[in-house]
Amino acid sequence: MEHREVGALVRSAVDGDAAAWKAIVEGLGPLVWSVVRAHRLSDADAHEVCQTVWFRFAQHLGRIREPEKAGSWLASTARHECLKVHRNARRLMLTDDPHLLDRVSEDGSPEQSLLEAEEAEARSESVRRLWQEFEELGERCRQLLRVLIASPPPSYQEVSAALDIAVGSIGPLRQRCLRRLRARLEARGAT
Amino acid sequence: MSDKNDTNDTNGANDGAGWDDGFDTGLLEEELRQAAAVLDPLPPALLQSAVDAYALYDLDARVAELTFDSLVDAIPVRGATDVPRMLTFSAGGVTLDVEVSAQGLMGQVLPPQPARIEVLGGPRTTAALTADDMGRFAADTTPAGPFALRLRAGDEVVTTEWLRA
Repeated sequence: MEHREVGALVRSAVDGDAAAWKAIVEGLGPLVWSVVRAHRLSDADAHEVCQTVWFRFAQHLGRIREPEKAGSWLASTARHECLKVHRNARRLMLTDDPHLLDRVSEDGSPEQSLLEAEEAEARSESVRRLWQEFEELGERCRQLLRVLIASPPPSYQEVSAALDIAVGSIGPLRQRCLRRLRARLEARGAT
Repeated sequence: MSDKNDTNDTNGANDGAGWDDGFDTGLLEEELRQAAAVLDPLPPALLQSAVDAYALYDLDARVAELTFDSLVDAIPVRGATDVPRMLTFSAGGVTLDVEVSAQGLMGQVLPPQPARIEVLGGPRTTAALTADDMGRFAADTTPAGPFALRLRAGDEVVTTEWLRA
C-alpha cells in the first residue's frame, strides 16, 4: 500500500471511520499473514499471532506516531510475536511432541471451480510444483519471498521491518532468490 | 483475494532491475504471488476478525505497556519445563504483575489496591475478577489465544497491551 494512502486511512480510522479501518485491514492483512507464514508457524499459532497483532494495532491506533508507516509497525510487531512463539516452542519442546509443521492452507483452492476442469488441473499442477520448489528453497530465501509475495505487494520498508534486514539488501537478495528458484524449476524441467 | 497487479513492474521499479540473466524476475515473483493466493491465502475468518478488532479501539483508555516478559527478558531455567510466564505491565503510576501458567492466571496490582479486573479475549470479556485489598487476583483458567486485562480502580481504567498467552 502507498504510504500516503495508509497514513490518510489511519488518520480517518482514528477519527472513527470504520470503512477506513476495513480498508487498512484489507490492504495490510495479507502482509501480516505473509510475515507469520514466513516464520513457519503452525496454523493455530499463525491465527493467534495475527489476531494479537491486529488487536494491538487497534489498541494503539490513536498513539501511532507515524501513521504512514503503519505497515512497518504491523510487520515488525508480527515478527516479534513470531519470535516469541519460537522461543516458547523451544522451551516446551522437552515435554511436548515437536509440532509438525502444517502443510499449506486449509481451504484448498477456491479458484478451481471457476476454471475449466482440464485446464485447471494442468494449471494447478504447475502452481503446486512452483510452490513446492519455493517451499524447499533455503530458509532465508523462502522467508524473504514469502513476505515479498503478499498481495498487494509490500514496500521494501515493510519487508525490512518484517524480517529485520536492511532495505538496501532486499533488492539484491530478491534477485538471487528468484534466480535460485528459477534454476530449481529448470532442473526439474518444470518451465 | 484477487489482486489487480498485472503490472510486473511493481518491484522492478523498486530495485530498477526487473530483468536478470535473461529472465524476468518480476514475472516469476508474480507467478509465486498468485500461487500464494491460491495455496496459502489469508483465511477469510482471520480477515473478519481483524475487521472486527476496530471495536477494541478506545481513544480514552490508558494502555499499560508490557515492560517485562519472561519469554524475552528472563534467562531460561535449565531443565525446568513448566515455568510460568511472568509479565509486567505499567501505565503511569499503576503496575500489574501477572503470572500465566497451565493452572491459570494470577497477579497483583501495585501499589496494592482493590480493583475490578476483566479478562478480555477479543472484543468480548471472558472473565470478571476482583483484586483484594492487597491487589491480588487469580483465575483458574488460562487465557486461550490473545488476551488483555482491563483494570478499574477508583475512576481509573487501564488496559494491558494485547498479548498471546
